[in-house]
Amino acid sequence: MRMSLSTALLLALTAPVPALAQADPARETVQRLDDGLIAIMKAKGTAKSRATAIAPVIDRTFDLPLMTRLAVGTGWTTIAPAEQQALVAAFRRLTIAQYAANFDDWSGESFAIAPQVEARGGDRLVRTTLVTPGKAGIAISYRLRANGGEWKIIDIFYRNAISQIATRRADFAGVLAKGGAKSLVAHLDALAAKGSF
Amino acid sequence: MSLSLLLLSAPALVVAPAQDVQTEAPAPPVVVPAPPPQPQEAPAAPELADPLADPATAAAPPPAGAPGHAKGDPLEGFNRRMFGLHQSLDKAIYRPAAMGYKHVAPKPLRTGLRHFFSNLTEPVAFVNYLLQLKFGKAGRTLVRFTVNSTLGVGGVLDLAKTEGINIPHHDNSFGDTLARYGVGPGPYLFLPLVGPTTLRDLLGGPVDGAVLPVAIGKPFTDWRYQVSSAVIPGLDLRAESDDELRALFAGAVDPYATLRSVWLQNRAAEVAAIRHRKAPPAELDDPMRDPDAPARASDAPELSDPLSDPAAHNPATTPR
Repeated sequence: MRMSLSTALLLALTAPVPALAQADPARETVQRLDDGLIAIMKAKGTAKSRATAIAPVIDRTFDLPLMTRLAVGTGWTTIAPAEQQALVAAFRRLTIAQYAANFDDWSGESFAIAPQVEARGGDRLVRTTLVTPGKAGIAISYRLRANGGEWKIIDIFYRNAISQIATRRADFAGVLAKGGAKSLVAHLDALAAKGSF
Repeated sequence: MSLSLLLLSAPALVVAPAQDVQTEAPAPPVVVPAPPPQPQEAPAAPELADPLADPATAAAPPPAGAPGHAKGDPLEGFNRRMFGLHQSLDKAIYRPAAMGYKHVAPKPLRTGLRHFFSNLTEPVAFVNYLLQLKFGKAGRTLVRFTVNSTLGVGGVLDLAKTEGINIPHHDNSFGDTLARYGVGPGPYLFLPLVGPTTLRDLLGGPVDGAVLPVAIGKPFTDWRYQVSSAVIPGLDLRAESDDELRALFAGAVDPYATLRSVWLQNRAAEVAAIRHRKAPPAELDDPMRDPDAPARASDAPELSDPLSDPAAHNPATTPR
């Protein structure tokens, strides 16, 4: 199980480079994530094994530190550096745990990535559709920003309408206001540890 | 108890609306039990509902235009209490009833009923499209309703969605019509067994509900139709969205705020689609300014990101 899984991941990580030499690099990032998600769906396994498999893909395709800062919002600058790091680590754990919990089974799903990439300012938008046989497709779009020469996902839009960052901002605000960063880290860790979403 | 009775009798009501179905005055779950629980915590100030309003960092760039978050939640204290009440009712009654419905009623029956009740909302959508002066869409809705009501055996089959006709269902409510003419959403509301809504959409509901009873009368004026048309689609929707709701709440630090945000964002996108013929992609509207990056002097949001080659320029810095 582990072997086939890592083989699949290896393929997913290495295959697109020669095949899509002319493709938009932002699109390739999304392709990498989608390949990783399909791989853990097909592998099934346990939540733990899926988390182990998807973690390097998420680390490579998401700008998790920036996503944490955006979700915390303007209050970020008032948080002590050690707590900032704890927040990023907790946000990363929760993100991985959520993907591992939600992408646990494969019944013919695939991702269709739109060929054209929209750009505004410095950011790019890659549109995809989660295709499930016999069901209506679900639009999932990714907003990417360049960081260190690589295009990284900084926000995800569900059904072209619901921004993950905007949702997390709302989700975090109350706890941040009441208990500060420490409290938010504790909440995030508890959610990630629960592991069933 | 009376709920399982309701569950068994409700489909029968639909199949034979004229028959006198024996029920013990089924208490529809719309009834709100008496005393709402006392507030366990002081309601947060409305300002706190806006995740970006941190006065300590007033020098930082303003939280420009997060979609769905422009409006606050002035009734947050009340809404949170109602949300708590709803969650208790959901756990005790609503979810078990919905899952029971899913378990008892075979899938073709549930799908047929879903289509049947959805088809009866098409005249309402049609009227609203007319009020919105969207005659093309009104016409397509009329075609859809006619096809499904006749060939689709009274709406049980959704043929208009497939079969080369390709006219899927679109919700369209009086709340949408009000929005079309610039009526704002008003305060966000969360009500037990109604769920998330806004004042505008809540007030629009009875107008939509009156279309069939006023235009046609019987059997739409019959309380048995009224109850079944509220209960069956309600249970069906609750059962069908169970996985999604569970995932949403289980992954949330603050389920109330998360649902509010998700619902308002989705509603804002619906209203934008009604108001603008073709909306430009809104996904890139928020400049997504990194709070860690040095604050720039008050740029317009549109100018916040340098239009330089991203490969050559790296505005984001990591916190470490």
